[in-house]
Amino acid sequence: MVVASAPEAPSAPEALLHVKDVSKAFPGVKALDRVTLDVRPGRVHGIVGENGAGKSTLMKILSGVYEKDSGEIVFEGNVIDKITPVQSMNMGLSIIYQELNLVNTMTVGENIFLGRFSESGGRAGVHAKAKALLKSIGSKVSTYRQVSELSVSDKQMVEIAKALSFDSKLIIMDEPSSSLTADEMEKLVQIIHDLKSKGIAIIYISHKLDEIFGFCDVVTVMRDGRVIATRDVSSITRNEMISMMVGRTIENEFPPRPDCAGETILEIKNINTRKLKDVKLTLRKGEILGLVGLVGSGRTELVRALFGADKVAKKSIYLEGRPVKISSPMDAIRLGLAMVPEDRKLQGLLLGFSVEQNISLAVLARLTEYGFINTKEEAAVGDRQIKALNVRTPSAKTKIRTLSGGNQQKAILGRWLEMSPKVLVLDEPTKGVDVGAKYEIYLLMKKIVEAGGAIILISSELPEVLNMSNRVNTICEGRINGEFDPVTASADEIMAKAFEFA
Amino acid sequence: MSAATQPVGRRVSPRAAGDFLKNNPIYVAIALLVIVTSVVEPKFLTLNNFDNIVRQFGVLIFAALGMTFVIMAGFLDLSIGGIISLVAVVTVTLIDPIGQGPAILVGLAVGLACGLLNSILIVASGALTQAESLFITFGMSLVYGAVALMYVQGVTQFLTYSESDISIFEALNSGQIGFLSVATVVFLVCLAILAVIEKRTYMGRSVVLTGGNKVAARLAGIPISRTIVMIYAISGLLSAIGAIVLISRVTLADPTMGTPYMTQAILAVVVGGTALIGGRGSVLWTVAGAFLLILLNNCLNLLGVSSYVQFMIWGVVLIAVIWLDAVKETRVSG
Repeated sequence: MVVASAPEAPSAPEALLHVKDVSKAFPGVKALDRVTLDVRPGRVHGIVGENGAGKSTLMKILSGVYEKDSGEIVFEGNVIDKITPVQSMNMGLSIIYQELNLVNTMTVGENIFLGRFSESGGRAGVHAKAKALLKSIGSKVSTYRQVSELSVSDKQMVEIAKALSFDSKLIIMDEPSSSLTADEMEKLVQIIHDLKSKGIAIIYISHKLDEIFGFCDVVTVMRDGRVIATRDVSSITRNEMISMMVGRTIENEFPPRPDCAGETILEIKNINTRKLKDVKLTLRKGEILGLVGLVGSGRTELVRALFGADKVAKKSIYLEGRPVKISSPMDAIRLGLAMVPEDRKLQGLLLGFSVEQNISLAVLARLTEYGFINTKEEAAVGDRQIKALNVRTPSAKTKIRTLSGGNQQKAILGRWLEMSPKVLVLDEPTKGVDVGAKYEIYLLMKKIVEAGGAIILISSELPEVLNMSNRVNTICEGRINGEFDPVTASADEIMAKAFEFA
Repeated sequence: MSAATQPVGRRVSPRAAGDFLKNNPIYVAIALLVIVTSVVEPKFLTLNNFDNIVRQFGVLIFAALGMTFVIMAGFLDLSIGGIISLVAVVTVTLIDPIGQGPAILVGLAVGLACGLLNSILIVASGALTQAESLFITFGMSLVYGAVALMYVQGVTQFLTYSESDISIFEALNSGQIGFLSVATVVFLVCLAILAVIEKRTYMGRSVVLTGGNKVAARLAGIPISRTIVMIYAISGLLSAIGAIVLISRVTLADPTMGTPYMTQAILAVVVGGTALIGGRGSVLWTVAGAFLLILLNNCLNLLGVSSYVQFMIWGVVLIAVIWLDAVKETRVSG
């Protein structure tokens, strides 16, 4: 049998995991097409690709969530055919999912040895062993704390400790950095280096090229269910990698910055809640205002309060110079405000509904006459936005759950663009969105402000804020504490302000 | 993910028909039941028995139609048993003092008011989960049942003992419009109105959107509270209509007579294929679900299965249907 060979150093150790010609089809989609991959012990193996490239399908096959249609998987010399998630863990193959799989109401120790209390020596044994495991990765979290009280980064530590408790030889991390702060990320990198030196192999799935170049040894690029290439990280450039991912060459990651800010359109004179303290903010017509803050700084609370999504103690908002009352999202929409929320799945999408119905949502009232929905008009709205935003979907009637993350996000943007909003709030608009779709979303933002809209952009990806906004505000502990010109300000300056504790 | 997708044909091919039956096993079940029963009992397929089926269908179907909207929006209404009992006793006792027409109107108003009260409690308490709505309406079911008992001191009220005119009830029970019974016509009118609301209106869309994802729907400007008020009002009103049809059939009103309809209505909705978690369903499916239940009941009666065993079969059917529904959910979302 011919192996699509990966060019690697001849001295490379024997593969720990051997994936050969694995295919998997879902109705209408070939999710994996003869995927071949070798993972060696003590290596960090990055896997990159746009959403829908097949990364998560491959991972789910490895962990036993899905069954492969054909091909061969060999782990430590054993051929794996049918396997359950529990068996795969016992074999030494652990997965740390993006949405961490911990039981929130149990303690750290209990989570690590979930379902294995008696063989781990009961309560005392569990906590002692858990403590040792956490210590081995440099975490000082008490094993008696309840998981719900932990930060995302600490939860990740618990997941890693849990993986180690199974004597894992291979740990798969699925976009672990997506909810980590820069500090927490540094800690994770440290741990990855640690695990590596213990001979553990790591598969690191990510969208962020910085991370691939930062600490991965080998990288596999996937696209449309196929492996495009597997290379040593030292022998590939950033641009090469991007063009392999999207199948074409991208000159820049960002379009030129829009420059069309006009007079003030929105003025928040003050918003007070339990979390926000006397927040003041102005936004001009045609402007992109970047809002930078840590997770929990109040950035999401601020836009939710503005949009009427949360109850607010006191607020005074002026739109186009007039005071307005916004006590529900419905009020906000009527006034021409729009919000793309942070969590696409929970707050944005109606997964069981068609692309068209997801798009028409915000203008449904406009499409209604005497209580009846004009379905012809609705179809036209759907088609128009699908075309305008280049949403890749088999049809407007396709269920939105089957689309990739980037296309789902574009559909949600279409939902709001249809109402031509005066003010558009984007909360993490490119989270979980692939490079190609990201660029399209940036272009769209530019188009919106050039057409006279105004955007508040919240993002954890500083380069995005620095390259797209006209002005940047930092928010820290519920207060706006800084204003910067992104053209002249450095990333360090802005982050220092966002980290400043009052 | 982008490239390979088969064109979606509109024409019905044998394979599409097969898929349809696979995804809607209820029609297969109905056909099987009809065949099995008519083989075992040739009398089954007579017009007389069919009329019987439609009459039995009547009471259950009204409550189930209202329940469909509630479940499609991701909630539950356990109070309909109490509402049916309360409406029944109020209506029958009012016939003598205020006449049959006004009594029926008051009965309908009571049903509507009970539904509104449910929704106000749910909206005011901020209950947004199915479980919360379940407990609130369960509590209200006890309240409505108790009020019904107190109102008539636990005594069964007989329609036929009324001194006034009860012609509307007689017509509901045995009258004909063309070849359809009056009760059937009332049912068809209700069904048509609800089907149009469901398929064509903003209101109907709000119901499924609420069931699909309450948080996202609210953030996109869909009036969730108004939708909750509407679904419970409809459920209360249809239960009241069901109660009045029931009175006309059994010619009495008992303060506990509504109790069995709560489970049956939920069963009909879920057997029909409306997702218990909300977001997907139809009143038309519910008609099929109710039809299946009545058919099963009829079939079991003709086959001489004891009513105790039948209770057990209901339970098994409910569990089987919920099980299949859960399997279907994980398949589409996996």
